[in-house]
Amino acid sequence: MIDLQIPLLTTERLVLRGPDDSDYENIATFFEDADRSWGFGGPLDRTGAWRWFASMIGHWALHGYGFWMIETKEGDLVGFVGIWYPEGWAEPELGWVMLESGEGKGYAYEAAVQIRRFAYEVLEFDTLCSYILPGNTRSVALAERMGAWHEGDIENVSHGREMVYRHPAAKDLPGVIV
Amino acid sequence: MTPDVTIPTLETKRLILRGPEPQDYPDFKATFTSYRARFMGGPLNAYESWMLYAAEIGHWQIRGYGMWMIHDKVTDETYGMAGGWKPAQWPEQELAWVIWPEAAGHGYALEAVSAARDYFYSQLGWDGAVSYIDPKNLASIRLAERLGATKDKTAKTIDGNDAVYRHPSPTQLSGSQLAHGIEMEIGHYADPLFKPKGWAID
Repeated sequence: MIDLQIPLLTTERLVLRGPDDSDYENIATFFEDADRSWGFGGPLDRTGAWRWFASMIGHWALHGYGFWMIETKEGDLVGFVGIWYPEGWAEPELGWVMLESGEGKGYAYEAAVQIRRFAYEVLEFDTLCSYILPGNTRSVALAERMGAWHEGDIENVSHGREMVYRHPAAKDLPGVIV
Repeated sequence: MTPDVTIPTLETKRLILRGPEPQDYPDFKATFTSYRARFMGGPLNAYESWMLYAAEIGHWQIRGYGMWMIHDKVTDETYGMAGGWKPAQWPEQELAWVIWPEAAGHGYALEAVSAARDYFYSQLGWDGAVSYIDPKNLASIRLAERLGATKDKTAKTIDGNDAVYRHPSPTQLSGSQLAHGIEMEIGHYADPLFKPKGWAID
């Protein structure tokens, strides 16, 4: 039995849910667009995107956490945000992707804060980082808005050299109960 | 895709086929990061191997079928994987298998793939299947032939580097001499006194 047990999370404006068949097309479109996906291991053709989609689902089964699909309350997919820890990653990473439709509205911040809180409160993580490719200024801005700081650099097995942004520990985040 | 897919368990004479589980990953990794994986897109690095294992699980959730982990019925030891495989660019649904190198030569793949094929034909209503095999992978070609598959030179390949072996349809297989032959061969391997002749085969 595949027991994904993906918890449904909500924020003021968003619903964070597990992946569904219908998400594949949106994910493939995102990965085909090099301008949007270069900071996330892209571009990938549809074959590569399907593999990533399948791995992303399996990630939930293997770790009990992974990427949530981010929807508005109206049901529009605006991105995916979650915790990613394939073998070869130095530690679990808080990662985010916004589709074009979801940009510029603070959705990524809203979802990422909620997932960071889930990681600390429910998964009982002690720390979290985000790996960001040099030049990905929008991701740096989001990480800094979340209170994360540039701790150093790391060689990623798949993406090459990346910057490590360290998130504040649970005890340093107001409203997070540990 | 939701609700969560239940992966059925299949039992054969010597084997039990279960869904891939986290604790089986090191066995999978050992093979896929080794030279043994040269006909299966490998050898892979640790990241690629983990992502492929995660995709094996995701495949079940997306397609409703996938690859089982082959376990010894008695010891629970893993011997490899067998089942159905159809990622994005596959022209048709494939019957696929991989046997860990140290488990080769005992007929485990024959027993597992035959059970998987029977399951897909009788329970999921498949009307056929193919196996995409590297033309240099003689052990797999031999297994495809023992399963009654024949080379289909007109079928669409994955990328031109693979040969397509077409399995007998449910009608061609049902009650056939071939089906009895497969059963008899599996029976021989299950006999502790049986010594296969010649080259070790999966």
